[in-house]
Amino acid sequence: MHNWNWLKGALLLGAVFFIAAFLVKPIGVSTQFSVAAGIVHSTLDQDVIQVDETRDSGYRSTNAYYDKSDGKLAKSIKNPMNYDFIFVLAIPLGALAGYLTDKIKKQKAGVSSAKTEDNSLKISEQELKMPEMNVRGVRTPFIKKYLPAYIGGFLLLFGARMADGCTSGHMFSGMMQGSVSGYIFAASVFLAGIPVARYLGKYFMEGMID
Amino acid sequence: MTILSAIILGGLFGFALYKSGASDPKKLMATLRLEDLTLMKTILFGIGFASILLSVSSLVGLFDISHLSIKTTNLGVIIGGLIFGIGFGAAGTCPGTCVAAAGSDGIKKAISAVIGGLLGAFVFSLSYGWFKDLGLFDSLNAGKLTLFNISDAFPSVINLGFGGLLIMGLLLTAAAYVLPGSLAKAQPVKQTRNMN
Repeated sequence: MHNWNWLKGALLLGAVFFIAAFLVKPIGVSTQFSVAAGIVHSTLDQDVIQVDETRDSGYRSTNAYYDKSDGKLAKSIKNPMNYDFIFVLAIPLGALAGYLTDKIKKQKAGVSSAKTEDNSLKISEQELKMPEMNVRGVRTPFIKKYLPAYIGGFLLLFGARMADGCTSGHMFSGMMQGSVSGYIFAASVFLAGIPVARYLGKYFMEGMID
Repeated sequence: MTILSAIILGGLFGFALYKSGASDPKKLMATLRLEDLTLMKTILFGIGFASILLSVSSLVGLFDISHLSIKTTNLGVIIGGLIFGIGFGAAGTCPGTCVAAAGSDGIKKAISAVIGGLLGAFVFSLSYGWFKDLGLFDSLNAGKLTLFNISDAFPSVINLGFGGLLIMGLLLTAAAYVLPGSLAKAQPVKQTRNMN
């Protein structure tokens, strides 16, 4: 049995990464987490980023990271209406479009199958109500459900900023261009990710049934 | 114009992440557990395909090589990658896919990951100076190193130019094609029976 869906997804993803690099620049996501957190930071602490006309970026910061590369990040934090930030904000909109088209497709398929097999629809409706429950039929506690994602997210972005890129910027865009750092990043990620997912994943998966 | 292209390309990227299944934590987790490698095939083939498009368009002179952007190789990439991998294995998501998932299904979990990510990025911003003083970004620093000499702006390992990148792309797509669908038997989620 051949399923070519993996190839369709690959062609779509590969084409998007290429088109973005062709028209503007290679795709990257994780820097924008620093920008978003920096917007909050510089709002609460007005002194952390200041205007500095002597610099090309026009800004300097008491924070070494915002100040890095001649205040590049400080500038993005003070002027978030730029390509990179809007690009990341648009990602969920595109995913939503994909999700809704799938849902409409499924609904249409559901309506046609309901005419022939009424029972199958009832079962799937019951399954739809299941997500709040785990296998024991008990509600998954709030902490157990969301804490792994929260801690995971923390480690992902802490690591990505340390490596100066994530799966998009380092692995996909980097490897696409034959960047050595992209290959090294990918190897490091899977070296740690595979054992964690294999040996600890089952504890997280229990809370993941939804 | 810049903002419009950001919305269109960002939207397209989110659409592609959703459609390829990359934004689904269950699929990413099954991939990392080596139980279902279809997503691995997708990513590997996608990278190779993008390499092929990039090299062919450059070889025929259509690609503006000033768009190339290579990241520095240093110890931070390795340590950061390992920390990233732990988060990847724990949450089954990554920075791009959790943003995508925040617009589709599994939204609450995705938002938890995004909030954790914002805090993680913030803590890194605060600790950057300390890591820098430790020499994390100077150790093993090889500069913006590329496998092939695709631009004079970057040092490279092999003198094959875009032809080399094309071969690499073909190798990656071939590897993705022959990669089996699974390397490990899927373990059902632990089903604890209620003894009462």
